[in-house]
Amino acid sequence: MSQNGAPVDIGASRPAEVVRVEGLTKVFPNGVRALSGVDLEVRQGEFLVIIGLSGSGKSTLLRCLNRLIDPSAGRIWIFGDEITAVEGAGLRAMRAEVAMIFQQFNLVKRHSVINNVLSGALGHTPLWSSLLLRFSGEEKAQAQAYLDRVGLGDRGDSRADALSGGQQQRVAIARALMQKPRLVLADEPVASLDPALRHSVMRHIEALNREEGMTVLCTLHDIDLIERYATRVVALRDGELVYEGEPKSFDAVTFHQIYGEDAVMAGSAVD
Amino acid sequence: MEISAELQRQQRSPWRHRMRQVQAFLIDLLLLTLFLLMVEFLVVAFSGRRGPTGLLVTPEEILDLLHYGWAAAGGALLALLWGFGSDWLGTSPGRALVLGVPEREGHRPWTHTLRGWFIALMVQLTVFTGWLITEVQLVTFLTQFSKATDIVRGLVHPSSTVLHQGLVLLVQTIFLAFMATAFAIPVAFCLSFLAARNLTRDTFLLRSAYTLVRAGMNFTRAVEPLVWALIFISWVGIGPFAGVLALWVHSVAALVKLYSEQIENIDHGPVDAITATGASHLQVLRFGVVPQVIPPFLSFTIYRWDINVRMSTIIGFVGGGGIGYILKPRVDLGQWGEVGTLVLLIAATVWCMDILSAKIRERIV
Ligand SMILES: Nc1ncnc2c1ncn2[C@@H]1O[C@H](COP(=O)(O)OP(=O)(O)OP(=O)(O)O)[C@@H](O)[C@H]1O
Ligand SMILES: [Mg+2]
Repeated sequence: MSQNGAPVDIGASRPAEVVRVEGLTKVFPNGVRALSGVDLEVRQGEFLVIIGLSGSGKSTLLRCLNRLIDPSAGRIWIFGDEITAVEGAGLRAMRAEVAMIFQQFNLVKRHSVINNVLSGALGHTPLWSSLLLRFSGEEKAQAQAYLDRVGLGDRGDSRADALSGGQQQRVAIARALMQKPRLVLADEPVASLDPALRHSVMRHIEALNREEGMTVLCTLHDIDLIERYATRVVALRDGELVYEGEPKSFDAVTFHQIYGEDAVMAGSAVD
Repeated sequence: MEISAELQRQQRSPWRHRMRQVQAFLIDLLLLTLFLLMVEFLVVAFSGRRGPTGLLVTPEEILDLLHYGWAAAGGALLALLWGFGSDWLGTSPGRALVLGVPEREGHRPWTHTLRGWFIALMVQLTVFTGWLITEVQLVTFLTQFSKATDIVRGLVHPSSTVLHQGLVLLVQTIFLAFMATAFAIPVAFCLSFLAARNLTRDTFLLRSAYTLVRAGMNFTRAVEPLVWALIFISWVGIGPFAGVLALWVHSVAALVKLYSEQIENIDHGPVDAITATGASHLQVLRFGVVPQVIPPFLSFTIYRWDINVRMSTIIGFVGGGGIGYILKPRVDLGQWGEVGTLVLLIAATVWCMDILSAKIRERIV
């Protein structure tokens, strides 16, 4: 890879680089080494799925990318700018362009659904009016349009915690849309949903990628979702990147490489 | 396992380990000194020693006679001996408290350790000494009830002469408590974010603010509202406003503690989600934290108002306004009928506040 550390576009024909990670390492204060020396490059328009056993460092990797976690070593570039150590306004500007979707939805439970969607715009709204929960008419119309799009147009006034899990995750997707991000980080977006609802949520995330042209990094637990949604797969094992390839070439051999000999491939058994 | 963990900890921060050893020694010193003092107290008390007047010495005189310096020296000596001899004597109470009991003596029953016997003896000594010092007189308590019948009769036969004035001052009491609570809310609300550990880890400035606010509030809370009342009475003069200020200061400290504990217990998910949108610190607080803590804050605040109504009675005793102000002279003059009226008024109010606040809190949470 590049020696001087600056992001380099190799050939004008390839899509622009969105994420670049070099030697990313995270050691938590309690001594757990969650990531060690991860190198990764993601280009515009990819739907990258990250897999790995529980505790392999998937969440830590995603959270380093928007700096919810500060890395211990290594460097990170987002859209070509190094963000490894930015602070203050620079950090917030980067975060505003990177949306995150969580396994536990993380909505503001006591706020209305529409307010939750509007909170996606906080990176751009004036401070004082947002503290009073006042948003512009334009923003409200935008939020309503996104709610319509995830099929919850009539639930804007409900309290967020009155919705089912699948509906809450769709609100979280509308919140991400509201952010108008160029990159979406989804951390096990369907892991706490009923298997029957998984595709309904995954399809919306797919739409972010296909229709809005957003680059998506998504961690997943179910192997059977990979082939359907991913354009590329990487796998983590004990904090190290151990696999990278096309979703189609992901077979039983690679599965055991990643998950160990004792693991049982779910495939048709589940779902 | 246990020992190696302890060793690791020693190596990681030798300075902190030293501090813990000093703490353990000081606790041992205190316990052993108290032990020696109580033994001496009981020996003197039961020796039949007579004072200058020829009567048996009273507990207060004995307290005056004790050899505090010698006891402290003896305590220090014993604490040192126990510390160095812990291989034969077992872990001392101070070490057990601060550093924990090592694995090898962890499961021994208390009757098999010196520490167990020492603590058992300490408890017994404390009860005996306490009995003498507080001059417990069971017989008097059980046989002399008749002397108090006047008061009790007064209390159950309230007189109507102070009813009007009592009601007026009762209204004042309730408002006094209300104003103290109302003034306390904004101050406590702002301070509580600085007093919450989970929001003040990031920068040195925030960590210092946390320590400062915590220390200040702990001190303020440790000072009795009655003392605050005396301070404010000399500051703004006798009257309800001094009472408002006294309860205000105390309420701020109490509410900051309750509020900040709630903030420390929030679900961190929404905070992460709002942070990830690029929101600023204030926006993260407004969207990620505040909605989660509003219901418990409301419930604590109403509870605080309830407590303030009770406290304002006592505050009135020293001149801080409210119903306590007219209660005190009547207690002093022994006008038990009027005292009864006022006590019943207070009891009724407290009872109503109690029910009301419980109902509201039930609804909110
Ligand atoms: N805040 C933290 N403090 C200490 N250790 C942590 C922290 N967060 C994660 N870890 C540890 O880091 C390792 C990687 O955790 P991470 O959450 O990234 O794994 P994951 O692959 O997302 O797992 P899962 O599939 O269970 O979500 C784990 O061993 C975990 O215990
Ligand atoms: Mg995870």
